[in-house]
Amino acid sequence: MVKLITRRLAVLPLILLAVATVTFALTEISPFDPVEAYVGAENNVSAERKAEIAHAWGFDQPVYEKFGRWIYNLAQGDMGNSIVAGGQPVAGEIASRASASIALVGGALALVLAGGLVFGVLAAAFRGTLFDWLVRTLCYFNTAAPSFWIGLLALYVFSIELGWLPAGGTSDPRAVEAGGVDLEHLILPMVILALTQYAWFTLFVRNTMLEILREDHVQFARAQGIGELAVLLRYALPNALIPFVTLIGTHLAELIGGTILIESIFGWPGLGLLALDAARSEDIPMIVGITLCASVLVVLGNLLADVTYRIIDPRVREATT
Amino acid sequence: MTSLLEVEDLSVGFRTRRGVVHALSHASVTIRPGELLLVVGESGSGKTVLAHTLLALLPRNVDVSGSVRLGGQELLDLPPAELRRVRGRRMALIPQSPASSLNPVRKLGGQLLEAARARGLREKQARTRLRELLAELGLDLEFIGGRYVHQLSGGMQQRVVNAMALVGEPDIVIADEPTSGLDADLVDATAAQLREISARGASLLVITHDLRLAERLAGRLALLYASRIVEVGPTMSFFAGPAHPYGRELLRALPEREGKSIPGLAPELTALPGHCAFADRCPDRFDRCGESIPDLYPAPDGVLARCFVHAER
Amino acid sequence: MSASSGALRSSLNIGARRSQRLAQAMQRWPVSVRVAAGVLGVLVVVALLANVIVPLDDTAVDLDRVLDGPSAAHLMGTDEVGRDLFARVLHGFRISLTIAVLAALAAVTVGTLVGVLAGTMGGKVDALVMRVTDVFASQNHFLFGILLLVLFRPALGGAGAVMLAVGLTHWPSLARIVRGELMSLRERPFVSAAIGGGASRWRLARRHYLPHLMPAVGLAFVLTVPHAVFHESAYSFLGLGLPAHEASLGNILADGQRSLLAGGWWIALFPGLAILTAAMTIGTLAEYWREHLHPRWRSELEL
Repeated sequence: MVKLITRRLAVLPLILLAVATVTFALTEISPFDPVEAYVGAENNVSAERKAEIAHAWGFDQPVYEKFGRWIYNLAQGDMGNSIVAGGQPVAGEIASRASASIALVGGALALVLAGGLVFGVLAAAFRGTLFDWLVRTLCYFNTAAPSFWIGLLALYVFSIELGWLPAGGTSDPRAVEAGGVDLEHLILPMVILALTQYAWFTLFVRNTMLEILREDHVQFARAQGIGELAVLLRYALPNALIPFVTLIGTHLAELIGGTILIESIFGWPGLGLLALDAARSEDIPMIVGITLCASVLVVLGNLLADVTYRIIDPRVREATT
Repeated sequence: MTSLLEVEDLSVGFRTRRGVVHALSHASVTIRPGELLLVVGESGSGKTVLAHTLLALLPRNVDVSGSVRLGGQELLDLPPAELRRVRGRRMALIPQSPASSLNPVRKLGGQLLEAARARGLREKQARTRLRELLAELGLDLEFIGGRYVHQLSGGMQQRVVNAMALVGEPDIVIADEPTSGLDADLVDATAAQLREISARGASLLVITHDLRLAERLAGRLALLYASRIVEVGPTMSFFAGPAHPYGRELLRALPEREGKSIPGLAPELTALPGHCAFADRCPDRFDRCGESIPDLYPAPDGVLARCFVHAER
Repeated sequence: MSASSGALRSSLNIGARRSQRLAQAMQRWPVSVRVAAGVLGVLVVVALLANVIVPLDDTAVDLDRVLDGPSAAHLMGTDEVGRDLFARVLHGFRISLTIAVLAALAAVTVGTLVGVLAGTMGGKVDALVMRVTDVFASQNHFLFGILLLVLFRPALGGAGAVMLAVGLTHWPSLARIVRGELMSLRERPFVSAAIGGGASRWRLARRHYLPHLMPAVGLAFVLTVPHAVFHESAYSFLGLGLPAHEASLGNILADGQRSLLAGGWWIALFPGLAILTAAMTIGTLAEYWREHLHPRWRSELEL
């Protein structure tokens, strides 16, 4: 287990290097002009001034030198300076916005797991009934409906028409930055973000459960007169949890991507909103920085899933120790 | 002598996209207390369906008609809660493959205890009972209980499964293909285990396609072909000389005899013929065989055979 | 003369046989698939004929009719400057679907080319290409797409950048399938016999590889279209895709967000329903196709 974790963590810098290389190559290939983005709307900037800026930022250096410096800085945790953060370092701005996103993604993940398990297991237990049909239809609808559209409708219904929940933002940005939880403002974005992955999980749990319920050991448990509820919860569910856990890692990336739209609709001051602001201001260092952070999170999420997988599956656990 | 299990006119059909698969047609057998009955047939002849019908393990897309009585009590229309009390307690299953019949991600101790408690035993009773039973089978509850199924040898897995079947002291034990997936040299050991279970006083219903296993177990034998029982009688007289041409050809096909396989194929279960199902492959076929389905006619030595050859006597 | 008419007749026969086969296949379709095919067919025809049904007139601003709810005159109501929403949604559907189809084509082209490159070259090229594929596969489509949009929008324009963003993010799963298929094909007796018999690369590709790859590529295309519709509308909604004056579904949804506080729920509702309908119908058809085509791809073609 320790071996697995250290091996995976050792590969992490390599993955980051690969992502950094690909993003660097894309910025080099593209005709995008970072100086234009930096000076932005000020169109009275002279050519000399632009050259000065380019020189100061190192844009006029040869490609290999730029790449070397980029990787060198990255290795020291320096992802460059951000336009939207007023020229401050990217890393610091990301760190100060992270806690809001962690609360949002963490809450959504908890909702997805709980909802997916409960409804997936129930749908499998009552397969072929109206309840099962309802769960599957809603899931199907859910996968096809764009999350931001559902977010808009929810915003209209719950905030504007009914006035149950605040329309967006947070009443206390400083508290959120410091890791506080502003539940009233968090509920809507959290639920909508959870909905983006909920259908997938529920259907997955349902189908895995149905497969396991057909297996020999479940039949044998039934043949011994063990009740259907016990068969469901003690014989089928533990086995269904194993593939379920491996999904969390992969779907973490989807949740992180989903924050951009959700935070934009609800004005939640996390990394998604930061990425959107950066995109609107053509702040490449910031977008690349967030992309790199997302890559780290995905690797860590997969690692966490693998570790959990090994803890709960005795067959794999034995093979790795 | 009264019979323990009476199966009467049992038919099982699966509704599928290709039509109704007639897995079992009008089957009638009885088992007396302590008796051993072998149900023999090729794969697809309906023998596993018989076991699953008795234990109510059939899927939902199935039509069952006829009657199954255990000690005089009708099982087919029993509500689930009462059926659960019959399953396991009075009737127990030894499944086909022990390795896949135990939950792979739970320790065996919990599964053994749960099996015992499902038979109405209290925690403490269950432990003592399991400890005794496993000791008789040469296993230690503490050793087994802390392990997962993949950590045991095939022989140990088999004994754990046997213990789970026997813990409720059932009246009848159903062994489903006990030699499937086993090497030929393990057939003797399996036969010995089954005889031991039989010696405990329980009736034993052995479902098998393995004629070598059947030969090593005495008792009575029912031969299935294309969803019907075609011959039923003492196992000894079957091996001395089957009354039905299918049984005779089956024995001749054994490698240690002539090793000559029967030409042709068994009919599709979705399209069973309206005449003797074996007629097309039968060397003794005469006109009548292609006209109607024969009944079970009495043959010598207390045997019943579904063949017109015996109709005249 | 007679030869060409014979060829024509035989090609007509083939056409007739094909449509006959299609008709036979359609009789086996479950009701849900038939409904999906019908609805999608109507949607596509309506989208294609959008200019005939309701010509879009961006200048038809009617300040007396700002934010009117759905009515007989305006089926889906009017927007914040009094334009007919029905016309805008219809045209938006045409624009979004066109971009989505082209974007999905781009993705499928990249995926196929990368897969063929890795699958036929093998060795170090294969290893390098697949590592790059892993990097792309591990990225979140949406976030990575935004990076591409920002980098390439000034040069390619909104529509072009959206196609690029979808095309460069949605290819890894197809590339892996194509590579795997090629690898396993080479082991198959009839292909290795053809290789041994000295068949040219071109002949191999045409006779053996392409016919085997086409179903996977076609299915990947169909499965990508709904994703592309989502991405286009989401990017435009955020103001990163098509220019705001274009009536794409995403831009109309952005209008809808602005009108929510004024109570104009219909502006957000209808374009979303259009996306939902497109995604559900295409999804149903693709799912049916996938199940019948190749059960193994069920899990691999998760885009």
